[in-house]
Amino acid sequence: MLSDLIFRLRSLFQRSAVEDELDDELKFHLEQQVEKHVRAGLTQEEAMRQTRLEFGSLGRVKEDCRESRGITFLATTAQDIRYALRQLRRAPGFTITVLLTLALGIGANAAIFTLVNAVLLKKLPVADPGSLVRLGDNNDCCQGSGLRRNGDYAMFSTDAYEQLKKNLPEFEELAAMQAGFGGRPIIARRDGSQMESRSVMGEFVSGNYFSTFGLQPWAGRLLMEADNTKGAPMAAVMSYEEWQRNFSGDASVVGSTFWINTKPVTIVGIAPEGFYGDRLSTAPPEFYLPIEAMPVLANVQYVHNPNQNWLYIIGRIKTSVALAPLQTKVTALLRQVLATTNVFSSQEGKTRLEKVHVVLTPGSAGIQSMQEGYASHLNLLMCIASLVLLIACANIANLLLVRGMARRAEISMRVALGAMRGRIIRQLLTESILLAGMGGIVGLVVAYAGARMLLMLAFPGAQNIPIHASPSISVLAFACGLSLLTGLLFGVAPAWIAAQAGPVDALRNSARNTTAGAPLLQRSLVVLQVGLSLVLLVGAGLFLQSLRKLESKDLKLGATNRYIVHISPQAAGYSQTKLEALYQTMENRFHALPGVMKVGIASYTPMENNNNGWDVQVQGRPFLPAMTSIIRANAEYFDSVGTRVVMGRGIDIRDTSTATPVAVVNQAFVKKLFDPGENPIGHHIGSAGKNSPGDFEIVGVVEDTAYTDARWKDHIMYFVPAMQRSISTKLPIERDEELYLGALVIETDRPFNNMEKLARTTLAGINPNLTVTKFQTFEDQIADRFSADRLISRLSTLFGALALLLSTVGLYGVTAYTVERRTPEIGIRMALGAERTEVVGLVMRGAMIQMCVGLAIGIPVALLSVRFVRSQLYEITSANFNVMTGAILILTLATFVAGIIPARRAASIDPVRALRAD
Amino acid sequence: MAQHIELPQGTLDLLILRTLALGRQHGWAISERVQQMSSDVLRIQQGSLYPALHRLERRGLITAHWGTSENNRRAKYYELSKSGHQQLEVEKDAWAKLTVAVAQVLGTA
Repeated sequence: MLSDLIFRLRSLFQRSAVEDELDDELKFHLEQQVEKHVRAGLTQEEAMRQTRLEFGSLGRVKEDCRESRGITFLATTAQDIRYALRQLRRAPGFTITVLLTLALGIGANAAIFTLVNAVLLKKLPVADPGSLVRLGDNNDCCQGSGLRRNGDYAMFSTDAYEQLKKNLPEFEELAAMQAGFGGRPIIARRDGSQMESRSVMGEFVSGNYFSTFGLQPWAGRLLMEADNTKGAPMAAVMSYEEWQRNFSGDASVVGSTFWINTKPVTIVGIAPEGFYGDRLSTAPPEFYLPIEAMPVLANVQYVHNPNQNWLYIIGRIKTSVALAPLQTKVTALLRQVLATTNVFSSQEGKTRLEKVHVVLTPGSAGIQSMQEGYASHLNLLMCIASLVLLIACANIANLLLVRGMARRAEISMRVALGAMRGRIIRQLLTESILLAGMGGIVGLVVAYAGARMLLMLAFPGAQNIPIHASPSISVLAFACGLSLLTGLLFGVAPAWIAAQAGPVDALRNSARNTTAGAPLLQRSLVVLQVGLSLVLLVGAGLFLQSLRKLESKDLKLGATNRYIVHISPQAAGYSQTKLEALYQTMENRFHALPGVMKVGIASYTPMENNNNGWDVQVQGRPFLPAMTSIIRANAEYFDSVGTRVVMGRGIDIRDTSTATPVAVVNQAFVKKLFDPGENPIGHHIGSAGKNSPGDFEIVGVVEDTAYTDARWKDHIMYFVPAMQRSISTKLPIERDEELYLGALVIETDRPFNNMEKLARTTLAGINPNLTVTKFQTFEDQIADRFSADRLISRLSTLFGALALLLSTVGLYGVTAYTVERRTPEIGIRMALGAERTEVVGLVMRGAMIQMCVGLAIGIPVALLSVRFVRSQLYEITSANFNVMTGAILILTLATFVAGIIPARRAASIDPVRALRAD
Repeated sequence: MAQHIELPQGTLDLLILRTLALGRQHGWAISERVQQMSSDVLRIQQGSLYPALHRLERRGLITAHWGTSENNRRAKYYELSKSGHQQLEVEKDAWAKLTVAVAQVLGTA
């Protein structure tokens, strides 16, 4: 084996020496043979002739010898590559066009795939993610009671979790985690540190959370069951990233005390590097805390309320447990647990209980709320990118085809001189694959930059996101596979056609025999490109139009010179009884700042990514199932966000906790729950039930300011004063979490660049724990709600432009080629008196016909494709006239540009020279 | 002149090995020797001799050295290697079996 290798290597590297030896050896043989014949009596001349006859073709024998020595494959490949490189260098325009086309096509695809890989295909960085199973198939958040989604459970109460854990031996471990930690930041400060308190993410998890995932601590220890018991010393695990970023990996953090939501907690360990929790998120948890610590730390009561669902459950299943019977068992167990709660104990509750069920889903990627949000966008982008790649491939096939035709004479000559067809095809294929390979490498660079750009566009401002732009092994494999496939794809056809050339063709002038212009295959490719480009352009136009519509929609609010400051009085340790005074202080302190005009305080603000929904009933009317958003707000809130009161009055300073509870409803509310023309003022409303509809008296109506999503239509809402509670509530004030308001709206008389700092200092002046969890201008907050739409619109425009560019290049290439081929014909026409304008018309007609055929195919396809993206468009259901006309105009213009350059060249042909050249 | 027979496929290697078992030889001499030993019946296609030699050399069954010929010329000499000897025995055996079997089928044995 080794000797064989040495033998081959010598053949390869000492090629000339080996060749010389071969020459010598054969020469010796021939001389011996000639001598033999001479001895037998032939003349020298006859002997040589006889010897040559006996021996056969010397070149052929040498080639066979080389093959026997095993040098052929490697050597000829090296030779082919050298030759191909020389050929490519000789045609820089062609090479650069192909490389750019490939790089953009492959780059765009690899960039999208990087993102897909990072978001959709990413598995949790835990031990054996394949054996994780999640209880539930939806991502409802963040806490709630009663029946949701027709009984499809994915969120559970603490009580239900404990019962399931106890009674499901099919799982090795069953862990629970807070569903909505993202909306409930915690405040943390290291004991004895000079750093001010920071608002960070903290997730409350079961004691076996880390052991379920099979994780080992980076330092110290991870949470254990013993940490998650009532009265246990409060313990927390810090994420590796937080430890590195804010504590530079200081070993003394482990075992030290942190003040979390003003309570002392011991950091027992550091989670492993790269562990970002149980779900992909733009803000992964910095601290992991036991569930039992939550009532103390977060002052929330729902932890031990059997009616409140707030936990997701993921378990590690034992091997060889069948999922179907397990799912039935889980459902039965859950019904058993729920039957004891008061939500399901009524007669009506019992019938609803029959609908309760749990669907088991793979848990390898954890909770897939982010994936759910991005899947449709990413799939759409993948489709668009693959269309662009298709156009790119068509382009390259075309370019290679043109090149193959141009080299036909050369190839025919080589065939005539005895080159084997297989050898020529191999050589042309080498050239294609080489091009594809180089394109793939440049494409990777584009992919890397593109993926970074995509990430920045997709997740603006996210710093801690566990998604990286660096292409992984699978992305590399994808890009290389794609480029190779492309190389083979566009290499085969032109190579095959070129090698079909008979030797006779070489001797004939090939320009004469096909005056029809470019062959059908080439023209079909251009038609395909035009058609696909139209589809992409129409798509880009629709997304742009959709975005315009969304952005120009009247949100019925005022955003100029307004700032939204998010806080968490709950995390800062305020009890409910202290809140009225706190809100009063905040109003006063902010009003004391020069330039501040209005200070709004509310539970949620317009166009924020969160809201609080409940059912509602008008007193004395039948219950209509309708979700309504409820906002608690102070007196200046409506003014601060620019919501106008259209009837009655807004909330004002009279509406204190002791005054009669009132409500202000929006116009959609009136439209939905009252008869046309009916005056809603004076009616009472509240949550559905026996007594609660009498809770609040309607005193005013406001216009329909957009909350949460600009796409929402006729969303019914009502607003109640910050501290007023339902008359019918039996909940003691100490347990009423709705009184915690998380948003301040500051309206100023001019733009303030330092408002964030001002807000922080003002709040810290009230209480150092009153940290800012999020600060944005109102305009930025609104813009954030459109970021996904903007991303899609920008990318579809980008890809549409790319497709247009590629198609224009393709059209230009074919037209230019046609002109070149028809030079003699055009020369004759002009010699016979054709005008230059006629010649221009002749060429342009060819290009325009191809475009028209492309349009004829593209228009119906575009019309059909709209239905696949309709769900991602806002108030657009079909490819409308404007978009269609725009796309066709752009394509026509591109065709004109692509055609006019070769057309003018054709018109400037000198008839005499054209004829002589033939 | 005796009538020549085209070599059946695969037998060329065997003949080369057999010829070299008598001692080292250059390519031309091998073709001459085969012809001689077969009483001029077998004639090696000269074009296929050299690829076969190079193939055997690559497989390590024969080794090659440059030497001086009888008429004082530089020539490439081939020699049977140790594994070449073994291979020759194997192939001779196989050949014997083959001829017997073929003869049996033809009903001449």
